[in-house]
Amino acid sequence: METVPQNGGFMIAAYIITGAILLGYALSLYLRARRSLRP
Amino acid sequence: MKLLRAGQWITGLALLLLAGVYVRALAFTPVERMQGLAQKIFYLHVPAAIWAETAMILVGIASVFYLFLKDPRLDRFAAASAEVGAVFAVIILTTGPIWGKPIWGTWWSWDARLTLTLFLFLLYMGYLLLRNAVSDPGERARFSAVLGICGMVLVPFIHFSVYMFRTLHPMPIVLKPSSPSLPPAMLATWLMSLGVFTLLYVGFVMQRYGLSYLREQLELAGDGGRGRGEG
Repeated sequence: METVPQNGGFMIAAYIITGAILLGYALSLYLRARRSLRP
Repeated sequence: MKLLRAGQWITGLALLLLAGVYVRALAFTPVERMQGLAQKIFYLHVPAAIWAETAMILVGIASVFYLFLKDPRLDRFAAASAEVGAVFAVIILTTGPIWGKPIWGTWWSWDARLTLTLFLFLLYMGYLLLRNAVSDPGERARFSAVLGICGMVLVPFIHFSVYMFRTLHPMPIVLKPSSPSLPPAMLATWLMSLGVFTLLYVGFVMQRYGLSYLREQLELAGDGGRGRGEG
């Protein structure tokens, strides 16, 4: 019987890294905007 | 200011929807039998690749028009699109090897598709470094427009590299002349993810454009010390 490869760790790593990159960039833009708008 | 705020709202909404894509992809989309769970990297890798390439095409188009019209809005948009495209290029270059290792047995191969994608990332880095290195706004816009056009020319080679060369990378299964070779549940998840990445691109670019505009206004007002790096 054919078995599905057990490689869930790679998938989890990719999802965590993508989330971290996108959240990190969103946070960087937010902080840059806040710094620029500071009176 | 309005653009910056709108961009922040769109980005916030897109990040919430991204969480929805994660739930749908991980819990409600079938597992591919040959590749296993690693195949689900497809739902992030391909939309990021599409937007990394589209962002460079938009940089190139804005650059061509800038060279004719000298409109600073076009240069501002090109700078914003390049920075966001670079972020998506980082996603391709990290998720790609993570997907490649369990499927191909190697993290990296110097084949045409992978190498040209690395060139795209390096072009983005060169473009952003160039913008920070030249202080005169007119020269900066002109030099970076030329580099942006070179980047745009590279994109078709990346897309068609899998047809032109022998490569480990698979042929397109969605963006091809015939209908997509994906089961409907997988295609729906992929389309959702593409929609969210589109929203992320729009939100990020609006914010980045707004920041450039704000920086220019501060410089005109004589306060050049804040908001650096938005050139």
